[in-house]
Amino acid sequence: MSGLAILEISPGATIQDQGRTGWLRYGVTSSGAMDGHALAEGQALLGNTDDDAALEFAMRGGKFRAIKGLWIATSGAEMALSVNGGAVAWRRSLRLEPGDLIEVGAARRGVYGYLHVAGGFQTEMVLGSRATHWRAEIGHRPEAGQILPTAPQITGHRPMHLPEPGYFGAREIRFLRGPQTDLFDDQVLAEFLGAELRVGAARDRMGMRLTSASGPVQTKVGRTIASDSINPGDIQITGDGTPVVLLADRGSAGGYPRIGTIASADLPALVQIAAGEAFRLRQVTREAAVDALSDYRKDLNGLRDKVEPVVRDPHDIADLLAYNLIGGVLRGDEDERD
Amino acid sequence: MNMNNPDTASTRGPARLKPAGDMAILVEFGQTYDPVVNHAVLGFDAALVGNLPAGVIETVPSFRSVLVRFDPLELAYERLHEFLQQRLEATAWYSAVPPETGKNWVLPVVYGGDEGPHLAEVADLCGLREDQVADQHAARELTVAMLGFAPGLAYLGQLPEIWQIARRAEITPTVPAGAVLVAVRQTVLPATPIPTGWHQIGRTPFRGFDPAAARPFLLSPGDRVRFEPTDAATAAGFEPGAAWREAKR
Repeated sequence: MSGLAILEISPGATIQDQGRTGWLRYGVTSSGAMDGHALAEGQALLGNTDDDAALEFAMRGGKFRAIKGLWIATSGAEMALSVNGGAVAWRRSLRLEPGDLIEVGAARRGVYGYLHVAGGFQTEMVLGSRATHWRAEIGHRPEAGQILPTAPQITGHRPMHLPEPGYFGAREIRFLRGPQTDLFDDQVLAEFLGAELRVGAARDRMGMRLTSASGPVQTKVGRTIASDSINPGDIQITGDGTPVVLLADRGSAGGYPRIGTIASADLPALVQIAAGEAFRLRQVTREAAVDALSDYRKDLNGLRDKVEPVVRDPHDIADLLAYNLIGGVLRGDEDERD
Repeated sequence: MNMNNPDTASTRGPARLKPAGDMAILVEFGQTYDPVVNHAVLGFDAALVGNLPAGVIETVPSFRSVLVRFDPLELAYERLHEFLQQRLEATAWYSAVPPETGKNWVLPVVYGGDEGPHLAEVADLCGLREDQVADQHAARELTVAMLGFAPGLAYLGQLPEIWQIARRAEITPTVPAGAVLVAVRQTVLPATPIPTGWHQIGRTPFRGFDPAAARPFLLSPGDRVRFEPTDAATAAGFEPGAAWREAKR
């Protein structure tokens, strides 16, 4: 069996694809990669389909061993990466030989990092997706000791890389008014929008708890309303006035008033803001948010054209003559040992 | 209008369309839970399903609204807004008879004891004797008003006025799948373990969610449910998703 053996894995690691749609009416939220841009980067690096499944890490990765030859790629938050003890750059694809040990360490920047395999992980499909929804007990839960099945490896890969996207370290996130914004006084909304918002330690795939420099956020109506459907990026204000941004694994409905929502195009930037870091919201019109979404999609669609072969810098190579200047090009046998 | 209390008479105004983020329109029929509002919601949603323009991702009925999620790059907001507005105006949704697709369920419940740790507390809050709680709770046919919060979790309305009790001050970190939970004249039936502030008065062996089943979710909004008191030994003999539970009307 081809696959990736999990020797160690950090808490919060999940299998993610683009998530599941069509089940919200039964209470199942989409899940899917927290950073959809990073997911698309991995697919571009490996020539995967848009919906192939990857391993998602939160802050730290784990240790893995290739059972057979395997093409992998990394994306999202840059994490310390090594193969058989030697450091490897992030956001590129590379070939693992049978028995190779890969270690994914701590995030240097951002929160969610991804480990992709060519053809995607072949874990159980539930309700049309492989996405792990931990709280709902849906999808595969990766744990040490398991072998994650991978697709048969096809030939023709070569090491590719992508530049770091521009959304890491965002200090401004676009905000839209929502159906319940009127439940807050104009003054309260203005203060909230003007305030520095700090990301708290209590954050996961369900939501991000924020601390507003303007203090707890007061509603006009009290602490709860009749439960209603929640969109990803909605900012609910809990009973003690704490803003919480609800994300991929949120409950599908809730009764806390929501002051507004995050523009869809900015969700990758938002989720990559680490605990302790701060940002501000900038209110935009729905039209502006849709324009931003259009730009975001164009960016995603352009990734496959943006990947470039890894060209090794001669300064980094001890024995220049022993290397191919463009990795992988001269070898044609990589995939035949599977 | 007291929005703290989902049971006060609600505004049954004309439904309103509101943008909800950049990928959804909320069709809001009311602000609170009211069976008449919910009836309109379910009728409107049922009429939409199967008749939606390309670009709509899914529709989600709740107590008081239908959320229409769409891709604004595939379907312009203005076009969807106009489509939904026309649908709203085409029918008097508050008085419309929804299609008779709802199923009737009889679900066995073990009330009290380990399966209903808060039954005595609920009896006290409702002004009932402990032995009256199960009888009263099982006496009325309830309607699935919405599914949500967690997979397959059903909100059922509506119990008599004396069940207008607040949620508990403390959150129970986990109640099991099948817990029968009550507050604010509603019954909540989780299909997976959840944390909750609601009072647990019993537990049913019925499971409305099985991801591996051909039909993963058994309950739908609009279905009618009657609970039937039973004992632990009898409950243990039931198949969690057996078809017998679908009672003939």
